[in-house]
Amino acid sequence: MDRQIRRLGIVLMGLFVLLFLQLNNLQVLQADKLANAPGNTRNATRDFSRPRGIIQTADGVVLARSVDVDTAFKRQRQYPEAELFGHVTGYFSFTYGSDGVERTYNNLLAGRDINVRDFSDVLADRVTTNDVTLTITKRVQQVARDALQGRKGAVVALDPTNGAVLAFWSFPSYNPQPLSGHDQKAVQSAWNALEDDANQPMLPRTYRRSYAPGSTFKVVTAAAALEQAPDLATKSYPTLRTLDLPQTNRDLPNFGGSSCGGALPALLKVSCNTGFAQMGMDLGTDRLTDEAEQFGFNAAPPIDLPAPARSAFPAKNSQPGLAQAAIGQQDVTATPLEMALVAAAVGNGGSIMKPYVTAEVRNHEGRVVQSAEPGEWKRAMSPENAAALRDMMIQVVNGGTATRAAIPGIQVAAKTGTAQTTGENSHAWIIAFAPAEAPKVAVAVIVESQPGLGDTVTGGRIAAPIARAVLQAALGAP
Amino acid sequence: MTRSPRRDTELGLLVLVALLTAGAYALASLGRSASLPANIGPFLGIILGLLLAAHLVVRRLAPNGDAVLLPVAGLLNGIGYVFIARLDRDLAGLQSTWTALGILAFVATLVLVRRARDLERYRYTFMLLGIALLLMPLLPVIGRNINGARLWVRVGPMTFQPGELAKVALAVFFAAYLVEKRELLSEFRISRGRMPHIRVIGPILLAWGMAMVVMTAERDLGSSLLFFALFISMVWVATARAEYLGVGGGLFLVGAFFAYTTFAHVASRVRIWIDPWTTASGSGYQLVQGLYAMGSGGFGGSGIGLGAPGRIPAAATDFIFAAIGEELGLLGTAAIVVAYLLLVGVGLRIALRADQPFEKLLAAGLTTILGVQTFIILGGVTRLVPLTGITLPFVSYGGSSLIANYILLALLLRISDRQAATT
Repeated sequence: MDRQIRRLGIVLMGLFVLLFLQLNNLQVLQADKLANAPGNTRNATRDFSRPRGIIQTADGVVLARSVDVDTAFKRQRQYPEAELFGHVTGYFSFTYGSDGVERTYNNLLAGRDINVRDFSDVLADRVTTNDVTLTITKRVQQVARDALQGRKGAVVALDPTNGAVLAFWSFPSYNPQPLSGHDQKAVQSAWNALEDDANQPMLPRTYRRSYAPGSTFKVVTAAAALEQAPDLATKSYPTLRTLDLPQTNRDLPNFGGSSCGGALPALLKVSCNTGFAQMGMDLGTDRLTDEAEQFGFNAAPPIDLPAPARSAFPAKNSQPGLAQAAIGQQDVTATPLEMALVAAAVGNGGSIMKPYVTAEVRNHEGRVVQSAEPGEWKRAMSPENAAALRDMMIQVVNGGTATRAAIPGIQVAAKTGTAQTTGENSHAWIIAFAPAEAPKVAVAVIVESQPGLGDTVTGGRIAAPIARAVLQAALGAP
Repeated sequence: MTRSPRRDTELGLLVLVALLTAGAYALASLGRSASLPANIGPFLGIILGLLLAAHLVVRRLAPNGDAVLLPVAGLLNGIGYVFIARLDRDLAGLQSTWTALGILAFVATLVLVRRARDLERYRYTFMLLGIALLLMPLLPVIGRNINGARLWVRVGPMTFQPGELAKVALAVFFAAYLVEKRELLSEFRISRGRMPHIRVIGPILLAWGMAMVVMTAERDLGSSLLFFALFISMVWVATARAEYLGVGGGLFLVGAFFAYTTFAHVASRVRIWIDPWTTASGSGYQLVQGLYAMGSGGFGGSGIGLGAPGRIPAAATDFIFAAIGEELGLLGTAAIVVAYLLLVGVGLRIALRADQPFEKLLAAGLTTILGVQTFIILGGVTRLVPLTGITLPFVSYGGSSLIANYILLALLLRISDRQAATT
């Protein structure tokens, strides 16, 4: 029997060797894969339970903080300003992950970036979380919200000289609080209610929704002429009521059946469709596409928020297509952020700075661990041409379609727009910057789906007062 | 009290085990709430008291018994307890009661069984006892279905899994029966054209039939496999005829195939084993969560009390090893595997040194139970073999399991004591 017992020993040992090999396979070879598998919620739980830094505005208002609670998760995230900053802070949800600054700066907020400096760090219960300070002030954000008056749309304000975002409001917004709760059933029903809402409150229209930019895009078309075809910038276009589109039996009308024409400054001042459409066809696909891309179209802006949408300028090969694209219709789409960057480019001598919402990150001791480093994203045009375009945009405010954007004592430069949507409704747009000579603020405003058609009905009337209010607030004017 | 160097070694090891367990218990509390547990003093006292009591009994009743068995079992029991306490306070209270009862059963076995060979005489009593225990959950009124398997007996407020004890009883019966019939059974030689006589093949068919009944009627794949593997390996050890391995293995495969094609619960287990990921939120949830836990633990583990093993279903019973894998990492799981290997090695050494065939066979059988049961559940949790819900000896929560395994341990210790005394 002894021989059998020894063999039994070998067999049992063999089984245990197999176990040991499989353990190595699971806990060493496949460890990372298993630890980070989508169904493995351990990392999320850890982040959820550990201390987390605050998110605050530039003027020191706390937007997100974690408080100790006595549940399975040790801490609860709170959002005192609720929906006012919902799209910026985003949510921090066990079930649905995170969004906004909570997502982009997750590692810093959770203090997960910290390197162990010495052995005492392992034992000491040291605070490693970091606090995030935004570039946005509550004051300006609130003005943006009040000015939009509960209409669907978005307001973006930023500093053209460095790209710092000053206001980032879109309506409807949402309160991140219910999504960050601990009762998963309640979180789920809150999420479903937001998802099912036809008004899409969780969609940050500022940087994830693209609209037809309408006449505000004429700034890009004008820049294309200045930069790439100086002869077109000085060419005088015939005064027309409608433009006969080649290869079609359709006409392209001016707003309200009015007639307009002349050289570039005159065309921009009254937002002359016939002139710009002809200019687009004169420029051609390559030059217009090239200039649009120099303004940031067909690329996602490098903002420190998750998943910014690209603004699109799809190449047009047909003449009527080019005519429509040159006035911001058809397949041209832009986010409010992108159009704010277009305004900023003109104001900032042709240079587009990388946009950002976070000014700095400080550790628990108040030491700055990361701060914004402004940098150029795109160079849209030469300083000379930017100055020329700026002067034209000043005329739009002083005697054109954007008179309602004017601020006493401060020169504003602007361009309005109206983008036709289905039926009789249209989006009211404006882009602007001030003070025109040395801009500190550039804004883009869109108010969705306003009844009626045409620039004076919508862009100038609806969007311009909002832009004026936000510019005034951001400039600290009374 | 006699002087015994083996007992001094055992005492030293037990003190080490008590310190280790108390340390792990304190760490678990620190990990969970950053404070030392208020009851660390009493807790340490109870562990030390129980192990010391067992040690004193061994010193008196089996002074020359093996010195490693009790400390290794104590270590596994202690680590298991720390994890159960960390997962579920209520279960921990019960588990400490069960541990005390287990040690009582350990002592009772040493008191009642003064010589292992005395058991040989009661072979048919053990057979009837084993079969009765094995089939008891099928009885109406007292039988209970829990989590889809009918393994439980309920009498008043107590639930019990008689199958755990049946294995020990059957190991005693097999050892006695096979020693008696080994000459006859050894005649089974296919190479010499001797067809198996009904007296030869009969017991195998009976054991196989029982395994099939357990698998199908009680839905317990693990116990069925363990029970049959125990029988076949003991026949083989007793007769040295490889034919039994072949015939037995063949029969089991036929039965398993039949069960796979006929019974949904068997087919489901195999499907989950082959691909747990597509059913990760359904029937494969438990296995996948266990794998996540072990992967998250990685090499060093999260630290006791710092992981999240609470989300593995049945973490304190069938899946306690996954919880250990998460918080102690490969270092911890490898240590556990080595502890079992040590038990198996010591058990087989006892079998080799026993001078009586019955004791030899019994020691080999009891060791096979420990080794195979450990492999079945650890292999299941690590997805090496299809998952079956059986307990991890000494570590899992469960009264029947603890009592049965402490009795098993006492029998091994008794056999090792006798051989030492006679040499």
